[in-house]
Amino acid sequence: MSRESTGFQLVGRQDSGELLDDLTARAAAEAEMSCRLRKSSLETLGSELERAARAIAQRLIAGGFIYTFGNGAGSSSAACVAPLFSRSPGGIALPARCLVDDQAVLTAIGNNLGYELTFSRQLATFARAGDVTMGYSTGPNADNVIRAFEEAARRGILTVGFAGRADGPMAACGVIDHCFAVPSHSVHRIEEAQAALSCRLWAMVQQELRPEGKRRVAWPQQPAARQELLEPEEAL
Amino acid sequence: MSTDALSATDDAPGQDLPGPDAADLAAAALSMARRFASGATLWCAAPSWPWHARHVAAEFVQPVQPGERPLPAVTVPDGPLWESLRPLARAGDMLLVVSRTDDPSVAGLRQRSRAWGVLTVWIGAGPRPEPGSADYVLWVKGDETVASCGGHFALLFHLLSELTYVCLERPDLLAPEPVLCGDEVCITCSDEGRLGEVVAIGADGCAQVRTPAGLETVDTSLIESARPGDLVLIHAGAALTLVEGAPR
Repeated sequence: MSRESTGFQLVGRQDSGELLDDLTARAAAEAEMSCRLRKSSLETLGSELERAARAIAQRLIAGGFIYTFGNGAGSSSAACVAPLFSRSPGGIALPARCLVDDQAVLTAIGNNLGYELTFSRQLATFARAGDVTMGYSTGPNADNVIRAFEEAARRGILTVGFAGRADGPMAACGVIDHCFAVPSHSVHRIEEAQAALSCRLWAMVQQELRPEGKRRVAWPQQPAARQELLEPEEAL
Repeated sequence: MSTDALSATDDAPGQDLPGPDAADLAAAALSMARRFASGATLWCAAPSWPWHARHVAAEFVQPVQPGERPLPAVTVPDGPLWESLRPLARAGDMLLVVSRTDDPSVAGLRQRSRAWGVLTVWIGAGPRPEPGSADYVLWVKGDETVASCGGHFALLFHLLSELTYVCLERPDLLAPEPVLCGDEVCITCSDEGRLGEVVAIGADGCAQVRTPAGLETVDTSLIESARPGDLVLIHAGAALTLVEGAPR
């Protein structure tokens, strides 16, 4: 490669060497911090993960669905974990889907009803008692995630939250059955730990679903009838 | 992957980042910062895991640290990678790919991006690609599903964005890097040549070829039946040879 020979970078080369050393040290230090936070989160939250896995497995066995959601990077976490459950490499494929995937639905709700309803409105349409919600948030702004959990709680849907620090809005909202708060000031390190927790939760659910290979998942099931569509119109 | 493989999430992605990889991350970040400063767009693609591409775009367009400026990072639209990116990428832009080593949709990454003058950063897991497969290769050891779902890829592109923003605090060090000129060596005659992508075939034994310098008219009488999308090695105004096996 001819980059060195062009003379383009010769100005300040020494400085950029120092910068590169600094960046290298930062990368190594942050990677180590990520590693520590992930380990300590898995340890500290291990028994809560077990409880959540049992609760999720019970609902899946009874025919429940998993819905995942989040904003920004949290939407990527949600989009990542849904296919982990629904494809379950080496495990039992389970009904899970991400509420960020349908862009037309998402933007239609956001545009017509308000952004804070993007997920709760979908849950109100799709979800039934006995389903499972998994929501991701790291920061102070989580209105649509909180609204979704409130809607889920009202409908008897299990709520599993992956949060940032324990003083954030998700931990404070009081409607989350299993809340995994990761104590860090770095949003990035929190997200990495949340990914590790989600992955572990998936593995635990898989184990719950096949102790000695005896238990079976009841999915796919016939859905329950939608009573509201069967009522005479004047009754609505 | 078995569920047991998930125990790999315990032992830490940090261990996947020994000194040389941290140095590669640092070098990639400085290159990216320089390109951003020159007006480049970062194109993001993750054929098997599209959410990672969207995540990377969000890291730059809406950075997590208050006060950090938004930078143009865009997910490559769905579809065959080169076909989708061809009309969008300009010389000097960047392409960040998150994929498996053997993902067929990223085959030819280095050659195609050289012909376009696009800097490449390749993040992935599994067997490490051959040296020189991209300008920067940032690789995770171990199972690719664990790397994807367990946050190992996220760690790499998080660090990449963090370091890029650190570099942007040093405008004195962000003088533009020259656009890669696509230097290659012709395998038939060992002569030096530049990579270009055939855009249109003329009736007169000439073709219009896209290179980092722009559109060039080159003599194609030395090669057989070039088609639009083919990569060719150019030397002294003539296409010397077709690059075999570069997916279009």
